[in-house]
Amino acid sequence: MMNYIWLALIIIGIITAVGTDIYESSVNKYKNDVEFDALIELKEKPSVETQVKGILKVSGEYYKNFYSLKNFTQDTIRNEITLRLKSDSTGTAILNISETTPDFWKLMAKGKGTNTDKLIANVKKFEKVGENSYKVSLVFEKISLVKIKQVLNAVIEYSDIAVKIAIGLIGVMALWLGIMKIGELAGLINLLAKIVKPLTKRLFPDIPPEHPAIGAIIMNISANMLGLGNAATPLGLKAMEELQKLNPKKDTASDSMVTFLVINTSGMTLIPATAIAVRAALGSGDPAAIISTTIVGGFAATIAGVTAAKILQRLKIFKKELEENNENKKEVEG
Amino acid sequence: MSFKEIMNIISIVAIPFVIFTFLIYGFAKKVKVYESFVEGAKEGFNVAVRIIPYLVAMLVAIGIFRASGAMDVLVAILSPLTNLIGFPAEALPMALMRPLSGSGSLGIMTEIMKTHGPDSFLGLLVSTMYGSTETTFYVLAVYFGSVNIRKTRHAVIAGVISDIAGLLTAFFICKLVFG
Repeated sequence: MMNYIWLALIIIGIITAVGTDIYESSVNKYKNDVEFDALIELKEKPSVETQVKGILKVSGEYYKNFYSLKNFTQDTIRNEITLRLKSDSTGTAILNISETTPDFWKLMAKGKGTNTDKLIANVKKFEKVGENSYKVSLVFEKISLVKIKQVLNAVIEYSDIAVKIAIGLIGVMALWLGIMKIGELAGLINLLAKIVKPLTKRLFPDIPPEHPAIGAIIMNISANMLGLGNAATPLGLKAMEELQKLNPKKDTASDSMVTFLVINTSGMTLIPATAIAVRAALGSGDPAAIISTTIVGGFAATIAGVTAAKILQRLKIFKKELEENNENKKEVEG
Repeated sequence: MSFKEIMNIISIVAIPFVIFTFLIYGFAKKVKVYESFVEGAKEGFNVAVRIIPYLVAMLVAIGIFRASGAMDVLVAILSPLTNLIGFPAEALPMALMRPLSGSGSLGIMTEIMKTHGPDSFLGLLVSTMYGSTETTFYVLAVYFGSVNIRKTRHAVIAGVISDIAGLLTAFFICKLVFG
């Protein structure tokens, strides 16, 4: 199953990216090779082969029509520009991308992939129309294959993020595995398992009732419910390690593992801390208003997930995987 | 004291309390606490390193999917279906992103609340949706990866069913309470 989902994410992603790029180049979304007319105000007199700074001015109406934008409300656009002219009134211009730059130019700069803080243009025409004021025609550098470049960047960026997440886990992981070891040797984990036995023997029938796995599972679920994400992951991984000890075939998920994971992914929580914090930051009148609805949502997700896991584990296709493993094992042993 | 305040205090006190209890209980049971702690903590590094290949595989696939803009295509395909139950089209990207990416869905939630206001129906809906399920695919990759399990059997289907149930319940309860 994981194989198909994984493949689907990648294939759909790449096909969409290529398709979008082909479409965008066919309608010339970024207006490659089209002249863009604007006014430039220069602070000093332009001289040949030296850089002069100025402000590019263009009406919002023209901008909107030029790039065929649907929603563009700005009246006039002003943007910093640097010019370097030759004697024949042509040359190059560099448009600096800043906070106030219109979104479409930001998108174009981002789409280049490199030097994303500026857009470079060829100056085709340069005429004086008033005091310090000049009329220019600009042709921006060619922008193409935007989505494919973004996908490529994402590949590099996300493999980096994956390693950073894993490395970031080392500290809390070590802390909680250490604490859990003490609890295990002292018999505290077993004690915890004994207390919740009535519930867990139904949820996890194939785990012996006082196994340390139950203790770790309970601690993980409690941490999740209290919104203690930092503690929940190490405790959950500890539970997986204990479940793996009971697992007959080590590369295949056991029924208990799936049930445990579904409880984990359904995110049953009593305090949706992140959502409340974001709501408060955005000036909500009652940031905590969503507590009750979130508890109901998470509870429903858990019930549905556990029920689904319990029903699915009996289906032949999923059961077969476990049985096949056992047969293989027998063959090896025999 | 409100429910929220009580829960806040519990979640702040919980970790120190657990650590304290474990140490004192262990000491009382004559466990060599320092040595056992170090013995257990030693594994921390190995577990973290073991999940790297699984995380790289999963996050890169999600990264490609997000960067390609396939989400917009999926929204366009699915919105006629979700319109049937009155599910707002603006919240659909949130429903699709939530199981895939924590940072992605946080971004979408923030964006929707910025445009529509945190106390609008949409704002309340997306923040309820955010809390109602977890990033299923990330959790599956990390948890199964930590014990080197590659055949996940029915975990993905059960996880997705749980996500759909959580998101739909979030929608119906929000309609009931805030609608």
